[in-house]
Amino acid sequence: MSGRVIVITSGKGGVGKTTTNANIGTALAKAGKKVVMIDTDLGLRNLDLLLGLENRIVYTIVDVVEKRCKLKQALVKDKKNPNLCLLAAAQTRDKTAVTEEQLKDICERLQKDFDFILVDCPAGIEQGFQNAVAGASEAIVVTTPEMSAIRDADRIIGLLEAKEEIKSYHLLLNRVRPKLIKSNDMMSVDEVVDILSAELIGIIPEDTGIITSTNKGEPIVNDEKSLAGQAYMNVAKRIMGEEVPFLNLEEDNSFMGKVKSFFSHLVGKEKK
Amino acid sequence: MNDLFTNLYNKVVGFFHKVENEEENSKEIACNRLRVVLMQDRTNLTPELLDKMRSELIDLLSKYLEMDKDALELNLEQDGDQMALALSIPVIRAKDEAEIEAAIKAQEAEKAKEDAEKTSEDDDDDDFETDEGDDENSDEDEDSETDNADDEITEGSQSDNEDNEEDTEASDDSENEDSDNKVEEDSEDETSDNEDKKKAKNKQNKK
Repeated sequence: MSGRVIVITSGKGGVGKTTTNANIGTALAKAGKKVVMIDTDLGLRNLDLLLGLENRIVYTIVDVVEKRCKLKQALVKDKKNPNLCLLAAAQTRDKTAVTEEQLKDICERLQKDFDFILVDCPAGIEQGFQNAVAGASEAIVVTTPEMSAIRDADRIIGLLEAKEEIKSYHLLLNRVRPKLIKSNDMMSVDEVVDILSAELIGIIPEDTGIITSTNKGEPIVNDEKSLAGQAYMNVAKRIMGEEVPFLNLEEDNSFMGKVKSFFSHLVGKEKK
Repeated sequence: MNDLFTNLYNKVVGFFHKVENEEENSKEIACNRLRVVLMQDRTNLTPELLDKMRSELIDLLSKYLEMDKDALELNLEQDGDQMALALSIPVIRAKDEAEIEAAIKAQEAEKAKEDAEKTSEDDDDDDFETDEGDDENSDEDEDSETDNADDEITEGSQSDNEDNEEDTEASDDSENEDSDNKVEEDSEDETSDNEDKKKAKNKQNKK
């Protein structure tokens, strides 16, 4: 077995790299794939929190590199899905504790046992980014429809294109707000794709459910009713080669959706 | 008619409050998880060690007061360079003198059995010493702790240079340098770590 190594990166911080990582990883594992996620954000790890695994970490990637434990010992199994593992970052070291070569080596070793290796990249384009990209052959660039995020994504795409090892990269547009797009206050998906001229792999709507799911340490793909969860599930399917149409985010057309929007409108008015 | 409407409105608002309450629940979960995680980040204590510390504290304090053991709350608060351990336990009842003496005697007898040499020392000290010596895990975490504080600047600039010059060379070199750095870190770290523990201890004594 030779697994695919996909790095999830963005340039800008706070656009949802780690959330994307947790959700795509969980979705792929739910589909029966063996998945390992590597948090390379040394010193600022958070992937463990989003997965609710923060209390199970004994060894980190730095322990593996410094040979205090075996690679397999450091893999933390997910609570629900035995197909899903996490290799946590050390919280108390900086980006220099692991080198590109070492990360490449870890990815190669994991490729034997896993279908997918998802590498969570730190924000920025410095050594942390270089390390994360080192072992990967594919990339997902996460961005939001905001100027700063798009500009940084463009920079990242430029860097990825210069890397020989990266064979393909895709764009994931996060935190899309259909209402704002409709009122022409937010760049539309097409416009963003046009500007960055990259192939799209997912559109994730802004969803308050993300906040609660993060609070609980449970990725939102586990909530099948959530729109963002469905969108992430579709991304996973596309990664696996399925052709899935993009979700229609325009309007919640179900009866309950209409009732909800009517009442929230009403409550909103009363509060004023 | 108006009443009917307000009634309906209240029901609707009530429904939304329910939804909000659910979110508050997840907020509670988030706060609790964060507390634990931050405690781990600020110390070198793994979850198991934290539990150990908790139970030892309970053992220690329940000699003097009867407390609600399940409601014990440990919190590490960071104020600039200072770290303080805040401990909050609801006291159910004050013990009377006889009880306290009995508890102390019982413990002293136990200790005398365990280790004849250490009986002269303070109870607190013993508790903390076992904490320090016992666990291998804590050592590992200790190496890594320093980067947060003093080392970051020097290490960062060093390694930048390394990266520029040595990127193309074999990784062996950089590994060696890593381990060199580590030795320094280790020694520095132990001292800073002890300081932290002392602070915690002082705080404890005050309480």
